Amino acid sequence: MGVSEPSRRRCGPSPNPPLEDRAGPNPPQGRYAPLRGDPEVGSSLTRVQPGAKGWLWILVTGRVSFGGEARPDACGRGWPRKPPRSLKPTRLQWSDWLALALLLALLLTLAACGPKPAIRGPCPAGKLCLEYGNSAEPESLDPSKSSGTWETHINGDLMEGLTQDDAEGRPIPGMAKSWTVSPDGLTWTFHLREAKWSDGVPVTADDFAYSLRRVLSPAQASEYAALIYVIKNAEAVNEGRLPPSALGVEAPDPHTLVINLEHPAPYLPELAKHDIMMPTPRHVVERWGDAWSQPAHYVSNGPYRLAEWAFGDHVRVVKNPLYYNAASVCFDQVTYYPTVDSVEAERRVRRGELDVNTDIQSNRIAFLRQPDQIPAYVRTHTWLGVVYVAFNTRDVPALKDKRVRLALDMAIDRDFIAYKLLRGGQTPAYTFVPPGVADYAAPAPPAWASWSLAKRQQAARDLLAQAGFGPGHPLRLEFKHRNTADPMLFTPAIQADWKDIGVRVDLAQEEPQIAYQDYRLRNFQLADASWIADYNDPVTFLNLMQSSTGAQNYGDYHNPAFDALLAKADEEPDPKRRAAYLAQAESIMLNDAAVAPVYFLINKDLVNPRITGWADNIVDWHRSRLLCVKGR
Amino acid sequence: MIGVLRNPANGRQTLESAAAIKGRSLWDDAGRRLMRNRAAVAGMAVLALLLTAAILGPMLIPFRYDQIGKNDVWDLPLVGGHLLGTDSLGRDLLARLLIGLRVSLAIGVVATAVSLVIGVAWGATAGYVGGQLDELMMRIVDVLYSLPFIFFVILLMVTFGRSLIILFLAIGAVEWLTMSRIVRGQTVALKQKEFIEAARAAGLTTPAIIARHIIPNLLGPVVIYVTLTIPSVILAESFLSFLGMGVQEPLTSLGTLIANGAEERDLAPWLLIFPSVVMVAALMSFNFIGDGLRDAIDPKDR
Repeated sequence: MGVSEPSRRRCGPSPNPPLEDRAGPNPPQGRYAPLRGDPEVGSSLTRVQPGAKGWLWILVTGRVSFGGEARPDACGRGWPRKPPRSLKPTRLQWSDWLALALLLALLLTLAACGPKPAIRGPCPAGKLCLEYGNSAEPESLDPSKSSGTWETHINGDLMEGLTQDDAEGRPIPGMAKSWTVSPDGLTWTFHLREAKWSDGVPVTADDFAYSLRRVLSPAQASEYAALIYVIKNAEAVNEGRLPPSALGVEAPDPHTLVINLEHPAPYLPELAKHDIMMPTPRHVVERWGDAWSQPAHYVSNGPYRLAEWAFGDHVRVVKNPLYYNAASVCFDQVTYYPTVDSVEAERRVRRGELDVNTDIQSNRIAFLRQPDQIPAYVRTHTWLGVVYVAFNTRDVPALKDKRVRLALDMAIDRDFIAYKLLRGGQTPAYTFVPPGVADYAAPAPPAWASWSLAKRQQAARDLLAQAGFGPGHPLRLEFKHRNTADPMLFTPAIQADWKDIGVRVDLAQEEPQIAYQDYRLRNFQLADASWIADYNDPVTFLNLMQSSTGAQNYGDYHNPAFDALLAKADEEPDPKRRAAYLAQAESIMLNDAAVAPVYFLINKDLVNPRITGWADNIVDWHRSRLLCVKGR
Repeated sequence: MIGVLRNPANGRQTLESAAAIKGRSLWDDAGRRLMRNRAAVAGMAVLALLLTAAILGPMLIPFRYDQIGKNDVWDLPLVGGHLLGTDSLGRDLLARLLIGLRVSLAIGVVATAVSLVIGVAWGATAGYVGGQLDELMMRIVDVLYSLPFIFFVILLMVTFGRSLIILFLAIGAVEWLTMSRIVRGQTVALKQKEFIEAARAAGLTTPAIIARHIIPNLLGPVVIYVTLTIPSVILAESFLSFLGMGVQEPLTSLGTLIANGAEERDLAPWLLIFPSVVMVAALMSFNFIGDGLRDAIDPKDR
């Protein structure tokens, strides 16, 4: 507000200076007492209500000034000519109300009519910039520490593994031009192309071997290490029983990488594009240690290199001119924003501030698809993913009891959550491995899945009573959940379902990356988690419940029979028999209520139709190097 | 006194009116002035209505605030017996609004009471005792002032866990600072007055003087400040709830309801409109009452 600087006038003999002289541009005379010359203006608690004219003055000029009691000015002359009216107790008069109403109407009109101008991130002139709503903040940009899809979105643009994603998310040659497999399926030889890190140093097979050993070293404690236990001796190395040099990885020359496996794994090319198998620049990591992934030191071999990371605000990457295929990369710069609030992100996409957001609040999908909304932006597709409730069986005595877990599992009304609450195309989950996973026939869901909700609730109450919980001794638990759109919707529904069987549950929301950190540290009682396939195979889901999985087996489920079946499946060359073993394992896990599956995910992205190269696919990977803008 | 001796010619009438007129205390005067302030009276009426609704309302509604209506997702107002419609989980908005109002008012009142107790005791002691102790106590206030408010509350909530009690205490523990400054200033002024001197001459101890003479005379400014603190506390709670640090589901507050309503404003505008109207009504009532009280009580402003 432009209250002009108080100007102390000299107390001279001038008896009657002209009015304008005293207070600069004068507001209309009314119940208005601007003591501009008075250094004490505004010090009094009183505010004089401006009259209607005064309000108009404020509206037109933007100037506000507060008067006080009639006081002599600095020179001892009484200033206000008509002070007495302003000194009555403040009371709004009809004209004030009118003015207030006008002001409010004006503000509302401004708020409603004026479409907010799009504020896109900075983009150098003549460059193409992609603004990417990435749904959460990465915990680290070190691929060996990545675990969230939002981290993979960034890692996949910065680094390139032996293989990489095509537009459909299928593996195609990346750093490896080609590969051969030995007849027994146990030895894979990858032939690397000529490529450079973004600092000019050549990428060698040794970088790959080094980073695999690093990921599996006990000191690194990568939560995803168990994913590549298929490599010879990986599990022993990871547990510290063998030295890193015993790992079945060799680099006979700078352009050849040999990987020996524990058992045949036809899905190795899929694994090879995963973050955990991405290379890390040995020369940089050895120099800087863990700090190598800071923007100041980060070196990448993919289509982009890291430019800056404003923590909690954005990660910015720019085109890597040394990338072997740099000519094909369309966007010069990509900025990822942690858009936890996907409804807010949706509005930013509409305004054109974001080109992409990787989540939509499910119950808005039908609305957004209406013709007068933004149907062309909404992209949904089946996804290999499941949302489930994990039970902390390590630290919570009640949850060690299978009956309690089963009761909680049975009481969840999945039909309501999938069809009425989210209604985005999700399906209720009574089994853990999503439908559509390759070479697999899921076991029959538990018998209670077909019961009516009332019958299930009764059975759940009986189970709780057997376990010693009931009206006199209710079970009380805390349910930790992510604060992203859909968990915020369905967790209160689950809470209410549990209340119906007499279980009191408090909700505690956290940012997704913090929530998962807590789950891995077992700092929870009940947890809302989701799991997305790392490769198209049931094992990517089932090995979460394996005793050897470690941190990502959030609930610390442990059943030797389950472990044995999974081990047997690993050794089984016949796909049919392997699938049968896995299905058997899944039904053991479901009967134990190791987790409570809630619904099967769909992937839902909001993509500006001017973006080309975005193909909906089952793994929901869409690398920025494949994207472009219409007409370019 | 007006009326007495107005008509010296008629002695009888003068006597009669003198008998009928009782002396008016300062508080009577203030009350009268307050009642003449239309905005303040309207504020009190609205507030009384809201308070009654918050206390009795939830018992009169056929729906519980946490009752999920599995077939009533996003019912329009007046559909299916839901006067104000339902939210995305099919919960009755009126029931939730009343509970939210209750929680917000409770937080407003309790946190303000906490700030009142600490602030008045602190300010009156510092102001009355004066000297080095005053310096020390007010510098402590200055230090606490320099902590960012929301940051401090969030820190408390993270350290002690999320609960309604901590929320009450956390907001109250921050809001007392201004109160203590106001009280101290007033006390310093009161200290010079003759009646205090008289009390001291009569041999009263310092705590007795503070409790019996200083605090009752502070009432005016304190009452004013309290009515203005309550709405600011309600706003602070709303802000925390907006950030997800406030009350947790299924319990709700006005701030939480508005935050959710803002998310769903294009699909279910009633979820934003009704809570906002109630919030605005509550805040404006408090502010009008506070303004009215200030004009009525503080004789210096007239």
